Parts: sequence; structure tokens; C-alpha cells
Amino acid sequence: MRKFLIYTFLAISSIIMIYPLLWLFGASMKSNSEIFTSIWFIPEKIDFSAYINAWKSAGGYTILHFLKNTLLIIIPKILFAVISSSVTAYGFARFDFPFRKTAFALLFAVMLMPQIATMLPTYIMWREIGVLDTYIPLTLPSLFACEGVFVFILIQFFGGIPKELDEAAAIDGCGALKTLFYIHAPCIRPAIISIAVFTFLWTMNDFMTPLIYISSVEKYPLSLALRMSMDSTGQGYEQNKIIAMSILGLIPSISVFGLAQKQFTSGITTGGVSG
Amino acid sequence: MRKKTTYRNPVSTSKYTGLLLISPFLIGVAAFFIYPFISSFIMSLYNYRMNITPDFIGIDNYKNILSDKAVTESFCVTLKYIFTLVPLKMIFSLCVALILNIELKYMGVFRTIYYIPSTLGSNIAIIILWRYLFTTDGLVNQVLGITGLPAVSWYGEPVPALWTIVLLRVWEFGSCMVIFLAALRDIPKEQYEAAKVDGCGKVRAFFRITLPAIKNVFIMNFIIQLITAFQEFNAPFLITGGNPLKKTYTFAMLIYDEAFAYNNFGYANALSWILFTVTFIVISIILILWNRLKKD
Amino acid sequence: MNKSKNIILKLLLINLTAFTVFSSCDKKNSITEPDGKLDKCTLRFSWWGGDDRHEATLSAIKLWNEKHPDIEIKAEYGGWDGWTQKINTQMAGDNEADVMQINYDWLISMSSDGKGFYDLNKLSDYIDFSEYDDEILSFGTRNNHLNAITVSMSGRGFFYNSDLYEELNFTYPTNWDELINLGKAFEKHDVYPIDLDIQSGGTAWYLCVVYVQQKTAKTFIDMNGNLGFDKEDFKTALDFYSELEENKVIRTIKDRIDSDGADALYQSPAFIDGKIGGVLEWGSSVGKYEAVLDENVLEAGEFLSDENGNKAGWMIKPSLMYAISADTKYPDEAAEFLNFLMSDEECAKILGTTRGIPANNKIYSYMEENDMLSGISYISTEKLNEIMPVTVSPYMDLQQIKDYCNTALENVSYGKASTSQAAEQLYTSISEYLEKIK
Repeated sequence: MRKFLIYTFLAISSIIMIYPLLWLFGASMKSNSEIFTSIWFIPEKIDFSAYINAWKSAGGYTILHFLKNTLLIIIPKILFAVISSSVTAYGFARFDFPFRKTAFALLFAVMLMPQIATMLPTYIMWREIGVLDTYIPLTLPSLFACEGVFVFILIQFFGGIPKELDEAAAIDGCGALKTLFYIHAPCIRPAIISIAVFTFLWTMNDFMTPLIYISSVEKYPLSLALRMSMDSTGQGYEQNKIIAMSILGLIPSISVFGLAQKQFTSGITTGGVSG
Repeated sequence: MRKKTTYRNPVSTSKYTGLLLISPFLIGVAAFFIYPFISSFIMSLYNYRMNITPDFIGIDNYKNILSDKAVTESFCVTLKYIFTLVPLKMIFSLCVALILNIELKYMGVFRTIYYIPSTLGSNIAIIILWRYLFTTDGLVNQVLGITGLPAVSWYGEPVPALWTIVLLRVWEFGSCMVIFLAALRDIPKEQYEAAKVDGCGKVRAFFRITLPAIKNVFIMNFIIQLITAFQEFNAPFLITGGNPLKKTYTFAMLIYDEAFAYNNFGYANALSWILFTVTFIVISIILILWNRLKKD
Repeated sequence: MNKSKNIILKLLLINLTAFTVFSSCDKKNSITEPDGKLDKCTLRFSWWGGDDRHEATLSAIKLWNEKHPDIEIKAEYGGWDGWTQKINTQMAGDNEADVMQINYDWLISMSSDGKGFYDLNKLSDYIDFSEYDDEILSFGTRNNHLNAITVSMSGRGFFYNSDLYEELNFTYPTNWDELINLGKAFEKHDVYPIDLDIQSGGTAWYLCVVYVQQKTAKTFIDMNGNLGFDKEDFKTALDFYSELEENKVIRTIKDRIDSDGADALYQSPAFIDGKIGGVLEWGSSVGKYEAVLDENVLEAGEFLSDENGNKAGWMIKPSLMYAISADTKYPDEAAEFLNFLMSDEECAKILGTTRGIPANNKIYSYMEENDMLSGISYISTEKLNEIMPVTVSPYMDLQQIKDYCNTALENVSYGKASTSQAAEQLYTSISEYLEKIK
């Protein structure tokens, strides 16, 4: 009975969660005028031509090309973010050192400054280094644990690991990095996976950073390609193509989350001591 | 972690190991933040518009902020937004995380479904979607009509307009929920079993075991949500455009407009520093209070 | 410890001075003068637009490559969202494309002293200025520097849903009184004769300006940024707006955003379903309104006059312009390319009207002879040219000015301020702002 109640609740709320998406899917088969006027999500006629247009995408490239570009940004970014954030968080959570408080305050400061304020100087800096129109300005900052949120999340999870583990590691003769990778990493796996997933999704959706740094159309990530044909100052555009491209772009995100969510559930606490 | 005065890490006794570990972060801060921060502060002291030779005007930009009605108005909007959104999103995320933490078949599917809205982020499809939901004849008003409630003027009135943004961000609660979920998975099952043996009810177990176990994550999540809400730009930009009567016009939108629409870069930088300082103070207070509370 | 702190500080300071914060200050010293010959090089060309414009421009670039294999063109293009921000950042970082499609108001925001873009006067060997009216050239001139060349001119005019007007048996209005009377007549059928907006388009304020300009023969803001309206004129404008709302000529702002959200009128269900009889739109971008109705339903209307048939006060402006970067290393080549885009007949054939109806006289006649100009956009532009429109000041296009005006209209519409209060406030804000930026 309890099970039944939970399932009913889950099913109903799931509908609320995904009905709007179903509507978007329906809308991708409608004409502009139908999108703006009809309430019901089933289109007048089933028509996948928007998806064909979306696939062809723009500028002579298919959507796969832009997706590939996105992955070229995302994959290094995830690797960099996971490694640098865990090392930094480990340092903060487990060690005492001079200026620790100041460094901790910096961690916040990094998160608090509106991007607009730092954008122009950062742009000029990358220009001086000579890497505009490459993926370096988009990926390299991740190598230096610059997403304060991630470090912050990890610090909290390190706090949940018993200190006795460190002592055991010390007795086994583990150094700091060894302890982190063999002993702590398995314990904070859910947090690490969250970070990887967040990096994936946020990069997928980020529009402003690539807009500013990437000028060549062949290097555009999907988020830029999505808006390439949207010109509200001109003759208008086919909404259904944009929606279809958005939906195609959601598929990787949803599958990544679908795969990753298993990791949240599998034995976290059991993975602990076996290092 | 803040009991650092007494805790000596057994793995390494050198007092520089920690510094070494966080050195990538320190380099990053120096390279990507200190310099932009200082430049931005310098710019805030100038009347800086594209392609006019910038004029040094000292703290005039900051003085102007004090007398600028648009600043106070947008700041109030941001505060209202924060006070509505953050508690709502926190409670909702925690409740859903608790349910999704129950071991049942197909739970993975549900977890994915609940996360789907977050994958949309600030995707442009949101504009179309939200208009369809909240306009006069939109889905929400039709549902209200069926249940006999009066239709709401969502976009035309200040308070409901703010709610449309809040609802978008609550609907996209996935990231907040995932952090809770990860923390909940970390609580050893044995604790609950022991509590059960002691004759502890579900509700009491929640307050005696769950909450204390995730309290650190809770406060961290709270701070993250607070920071994000302080900088909210995309949702009102896409959905309401700040209308009606600028009652959904957030502080971050003002900064954006001053910088790129009004070409007033110096002023935009001064506004950024104000936002930075305010959030920094708010968060420091929260953390200090939280540390006090933990010590008691 | 203090010592090491000092070192860190010093390092940071070096770091700081290494990159100039205000890089735009020193750019004027580094202008490359034309050397009188075309060298082998790669030029960057940036524009925004929709699919049609992208495809046409890319084919035009292909054609250029056949003619000038030595000068390669690197295309940088995208949608309109965020484009201004991208260009702003590039300009501040001295990294903009050699040839750029720009917006009219960018002349002020990016080149208020005329030095933000290359002075095209220096490049008269490549660009044939005789193909343009002097007036057209004057629009791109700032501080005696010819900063940009107008690609096309465009003005706002009324376009009507002919189905609705036929069904209700009304003719299109020709003067202001007729327009206002239509409101009450249409109300019986629960439809509106026209609609305006205060959002991205800002057509409400535009019509108010036209009305007052026609009535008083003043100019809202002149080309040099001097305010022509006084408090009384602002009040007349706002009163006129109130009259439109009260007589149901247009929807109230609240009604409009309740049913359309932040969207433009061509995305409004009311317009698509034929509940709104007309729109005020640029001739150059009326296509999106045409596209959501059945074919040939949207028709170009008359420019409204007063009771004596006086049609003054209507406006026209450059809808798009081309400029060359002040930092370009290849001014000769960039100018040659710009001239190709503007005055090559083969190129014009490819580009068609994807950037509006060409302002270049040679190309205009060429397209007219070849029947490449047609449709309501063309009809409306022709009609507008007949009535001697005044030029929109680029200052009127500044976003801050638009926002002040829209806020005033919103306050009046929501009953938050009387028209005289709002006019007072509007007058003060605009005159202070113009003072500040001039």
C-alpha cells in the first residue's frame, strides 16, 4: 500500500515535470503560427521536417559537427574540474596551513563577482596570450579549480569522511595524494559524479562565454549554433527548427544524467576502506 | 573542518602540504580573478564608455548609485525574489530527494525524469514554453478554470510575474536535489535500523538522524542557492524582460543593461562591486552564525 | 611571511600593467594607412542575421573568392541574441573583424568621436561614393569621419490584415482621426484595428513621436543629439497614447503582456488569429508578420496625415550599415570587399533583399530593372520616400532613451502617473542623459 502511494505520487509529479517537454516535442512539428496559438501538444499533422532542418543545422555543418565541438569543450573541462576541485577541496578540508582563512574567503569571492565585471579584462588577457577563437579560454580555467561551487561542495563531503581513515592511511605509509586518490575518492564518488554532471550540463547550456570567445562558425558549440538563425531584428525564423535543435541537444544531457544517476545509488559507504 | 587548531593531519605533518594542494587554485585565482577584479575596480572609478577616452571620476559612480532609483528598485526585486525562491526550492528539493532516496524499483527512471527540467537550463525553448503555460489562455489558467479558481493575470501584474520566474527555477530544482540526494545516500542504513529498534518514528528519525547528518550539505546548498539567486539574470531576461513596471527587473539585469545596452561600463562595474560586497557580507554573516551554532 | 606577501603583490602589479585596462585609448595611434595596392591576405567579415542572410552572404563570399583568389574572407556570423555584446567586447579588446555589419546606434555607442571605425573617406579609390546620395553618406558621418556606409534604408509604416478589414467592411485609415474612430467601431467585434508595443520594438513611442512631429513640425532629437521636444510636446505624445488606449485602438499594456508575455507582436496569438488588424513595422523586416498570416493577406497601408493631408513627421533610418575596423591591417582590401558587397551586380543578384532594399543607387536601378524588388516591403518604402520622411536620429535609437520613453508609457498605461507627471519626468531624464553622453 505504501509502495502504491509512492508510485502514484511519483507518476503524477513526473507528468508535471515532463508535460512541458512533451509539449515542446509536439511544438517541434508545428508551424510558427500553430506554435503560438494552439494549447494541445499534439500537432495538426505529424511532420518531422523540422528535425531534418535541425539536423542540417546551419552554415553548411550538421548538428553532429556542433555536438562534437561541444564535447571537445566539455570533456577536458570535466577532467580538469574533477581533478583540480578534489585536490583543492582536500587541501582545504584536511590540512591546516598559513593564510587558510584568506584562501577560503577567496573561494567565495570567486563565486560572487558578476561575470560581466570580469569579462572584459579576462577577454583582454586571453587576447594578450593569443588564444582567442580557441577552446583554451573556455576549458583552461577549470584546471585551476575556478568553479568555487565545486570546491565548496566537495569540502562538505570530505567533512563526512571519518578522520580515522586518514590515520589508517598514514600507518599504511600513504602520502597526501595517495590518500586522496585511493582512500577518499571512493567515498566522495557521488559528489565527484555530481560535479562531472553539472559541468556537462552547464557547459552544454552556456551561451555567453563561447559567444564572446569563439568567432569561427566551424568552432561553434551547439549552444551558439542553436541561435545562429535567430534574428529578431530581421525577417523572423522557424521556431520549430530551433525547438527541434534544442530537443536534439537535450538528448546527450538526459542520457548522461540517466547513466550517472546509477552512481549516486550504488554502494557509497561500502567503497570506503578498501583502498 | 574548522576545528583546525586541534586537528593535525596524520598523513602529512608539514604545514605547507595544504598550501601545496590548493596551489592550483591559488594560481588560478591570481591569473583569472585578481587581475580582472582589480581592473574592474579601476574601471568603476572611471566614466568609461566604449570609444570615449575614459575620464577618471573617483567615487562618483558609487555616489550616483546611492541616488539612482533604478538601483534601489531592482535591488528590492532581487531581495523579494530571493526570499520567495530560496526557501521554496530548498524545501521542495529536500522533500523530493527524501522520496527518491527510498529503495524501490524504477527509482532511477524517476530520478532522471525529475532532473529533465534542469537540463533545459536557460535554453531558448523556455521562452516559448513559459509563454504557453502562463499567458491569459495558457495551460495554467485553463487548469485553474477547471478547478473553479479564477484566472490569474500572470505577466501583467507585478507579483504573479515574479512568481512565473520563481516557478521556473523551482521546476528546475534538479541540481539542488542531486546534492541532497548524494548526501542522503551517505547516511549509513544501520543508523535508521538502530533508531527503528529504539521505537523511533519516521518523523523523529528524520529530525534525529537525517537532518544532523546532512546539516553541512544543507547549509552549503543554501549558500549556493543564495549566490545563484543574487545573480539571477537569465530567467527574467527570457521570460518577462523585467516587466511589468520593472517589477521583475533584477539587479543583475540592471548591471547587464548598464554595460551593454546603455554603454556605461564604469557604472556597470561599480554596480558589480556593490553586488559583490553585499553578497560577501551576507554570506560571511551566515557562515559566522553557522559556526557559532555548531560550537554551542 | 610579510616579505613573500610583498612579492606576490608586486607580481600582481606587474601582471596588471602588462595588460592595458583601457586598451581603446591607445588604438588611434595605430591606424594603418591605405597603401594603394591589394595584397594577399585574409579578411574577417562579421554579420548577424537569419538563415536567408547567412546563406546568401556565404554564396556572395564564394563569388568574391572566384574574383579575388588572393584575398580570403573569413566569415563570422550568428544570430542577433548577444551580438551587440560580442562586438562591444571585441571592440574594447581591439579584436573586431575587418569588415562589419553594424547597427545605426552603434555609431554613437562605439564611435562617438568618429574614431571608433575607419574613416572611409581615405578609401575613395576603392569605394565609389558617387553611387550614393549625399544624404545617405551623411548618416554614416561622425565628426567629419565617414564611419559607415548605409546598406539599406527603412522606415516604419502600417501594414494591415486585409481579411479582417474586408470582413468588417472598413477601409484602411488615412489620418489620425480615422484611426482613432476605428477603435470604437472594431470594439463591437472584439478586435483591434492595430496594435503597438513598448518592448523590443517600441512602436508605441515611435508613433507618438511621428504624431507630435507632424503636429508641431519639431524634431524629437536632432542628428547631433539636441532635444527638440519640450515638456508640452512630451505631454501631447503621452496624451495621444492614452487616447489610443482609451478608444480601444490598441490593447492596454497589461492586456498585451498578459496574453503575449515578453514576445513580439508577430508571435502573438491575437495577431496570428486575425484579432489585430494592423501593425507598425519596419519595411525591411515586415516579412515575419507576413509569414504567420495566409499569403498576401498583409497589405501596406497609408502614412497617416492630419486633417489637411499633411504627411510630415514620418521617419526613415539606415536599417543596416557596413563599417571597417579602425584597427584593420588591410584597409585597401577591406574597402574593395565592402565595395563588392555594395555595388557589384552579380553580388547583388545573390544577396537580393536579405539586407533590405539597397541604398546604393546603381544597384537599386539594377534590381528595379530586373524585377527583383516587389512585395509590401517595397511598396511601403516607395510610399514613404514620396512623403519626404525625416531621418531618425541615432540618439533616438539608443536603448537608454527607448527605455525612458517606454517606462513613461507604461506608467501612464498602468495609471501610475498622469500624463503631465510622466512627461515632466521623461523630459528631465532624457535631457540629463543627452547632456551626459554628448
